[in-house]
Amino acid sequence: MGHRPDLTVEGRNSTWRARYRQFVKRHTGFLWVAPALFTLLAVIIYPMIYGLYLSFVDMNLGQQGAPFIGLENFQFVLQDDIFLNSVSKTLIYVTASVSLSFVFGLGLSLLMRKIRWGRSLFHLILISPMAIAPPVVGLTWRWIYNPLFGLLNPILGFFHLPQQAPLGSPETAMEAVLVVDVWQWTSLVFLILYAGVSSLPREPYEAADLDGAGPWMIFWRITLPMLTPVILVVLVLRTVDAFRTFDLVNVMTAGGPALSTEVMSLYIYRVGFKFFQMGRGAAAGQIMLLGAGLILAIYFRFLYRELE
Amino acid sequence: MRQRRFWGAAFAYLIITLVSVMILIPILAAFITAFKPGPIQMASPPVWVFQPTLDNFERVLFAKKGLLNLRNSIIVTTLSIGVSLLVGVPAAYSLARLRMRGRKQLLGWIISLRMIPPVVVALPFFVLIDRMGLYDTYLGLSLTYLSFSIPMIIWIMRGYFARTPHLEESAMVDGCSRLQAVWRVLLPVVMPGLAATALLVAMVAWNEYMLALILTGRNTATLPIGAVTYVTRVRVEWGELFAMNLIIAAPVLLLAATLHRHLVRGLTFGMVE
Repeated sequence: MGHRPDLTVEGRNSTWRARYRQFVKRHTGFLWVAPALFTLLAVIIYPMIYGLYLSFVDMNLGQQGAPFIGLENFQFVLQDDIFLNSVSKTLIYVTASVSLSFVFGLGLSLLMRKIRWGRSLFHLILISPMAIAPPVVGLTWRWIYNPLFGLLNPILGFFHLPQQAPLGSPETAMEAVLVVDVWQWTSLVFLILYAGVSSLPREPYEAADLDGAGPWMIFWRITLPMLTPVILVVLVLRTVDAFRTFDLVNVMTAGGPALSTEVMSLYIYRVGFKFFQMGRGAAAGQIMLLGAGLILAIYFRFLYRELE
Repeated sequence: MRQRRFWGAAFAYLIITLVSVMILIPILAAFITAFKPGPIQMASPPVWVFQPTLDNFERVLFAKKGLLNLRNSIIVTTLSIGVSLLVGVPAAYSLARLRMRGRKQLLGWIISLRMIPPVVVALPFFVLIDRMGLYDTYLGLSLTYLSFSIPMIIWIMRGYFARTPHLEESAMVDGCSRLQAVWRVLLPVVMPGLAATALLVAMVAWNEYMLALILTGRNTATLPIGAVTYVTRVRVEWGELFAMNLIIAAPVLLLAATLHRHLVRGLTFGMVE
């Protein structure tokens, strides 16, 4: 009697172990992904679902309870002139930021190929703005634009141009912020496109040279088509980043003067953390997410194929 | 032909030099102002010849909260990168090597997280973190940083693993488990890429502003939050502000200069080499 149960226990143990081994072997791929997957579910997906819930309740920080109010938050936001203002500011911001930084970045990356001496030094200088934290860039430019102590007015004075206070007036604040945005993010476009340009094959260019094609022809017929996948990546990254911009604007103008620079991120931030109306802020957030989804849809349509 | 090429190069030099000057002027002016002694900081037009001093750094770090901000930034960055590497590297390995159903969809999903505007998750983040009693704690802020650092690490490291030969398989034939084989054989090979990836993601966490603005108070405010407090409506301490800015930007600029080969891959989620 003493021996038999031991044997069965051991036998059972070994089948359990075998099953465990088999399970691990069959699901190795998933098991290695699982920790990251569950962490991401906890730190992004759960908050996003919670955000969706918030957009349907009347939650005010500092108030007890959060009664369900259906679509009232959405109704409020969509009828709020200040929200609609922020949508149009965002559209202006994205259009100007993406197109200007793209054109400058592309131009620089093409010009960079023409020079020999000092290429790595120039490369280093041209990519440096994007490494600096946006709040630091914003604060530095606030100093430059400062009408009393800044750099801009002495420089304007040197060229006998009228003195300016660009961040002080609703007419010029947006342009002033966009200058800084383009100053910073052209470097990102340049970095990525230059990497793309450098990895282009030489043969088509040599052939075009032999055929006597002009530089314009070479650009449109050879460079641009071969660069298309990289260009799409750059455009998507820039669009997404310009769409969600917050740091630079918040540090430079906080949306003012007179809401002239209040993009959607700043609107949501203000409703949520200055007026403490989490429900309305979350509803505006869902609308913004829809916009991001639209960009994402375009992205998947054009880019995912290139990727695979 | 040769002449055209000469003028092309001359034009390229002209434009690139001009742009470089436009980039360098704000950076250098800020750099210089950080070393200005108090009285001339407010001079208009700015004074450029003076005896440089470390006063601003001393005041920022020791008399004000700069040292605390610096410590907070280091802790939060290290904590979030540590956890992201721990869960992200195995996931990257799996997505590069192991067969699994829905792998493509999973990769697409992970990359789509990059598209979420942070302000959209910032509100629920705040309410949830506050409810858990994690407002103004290292843990609270680091947790939210995982939302961008894990996807970045998975995508970049997946690329490095995918281009490395299957070294771990031969170690497994010799009787190692997969975990041992990857740890002992494969990881040392991808180490340079792993280090670059970790530093890249650390740069993003170091520079992060919005979530820190919402989730930190007086105890855990990071460097960017500290820098902004030097600018108020009433008064700006320019010298101190730029000392602070330099403390934030200098390490990142040095890193970017050394890592610029890896930068492209990191910023495009490995989509552009």
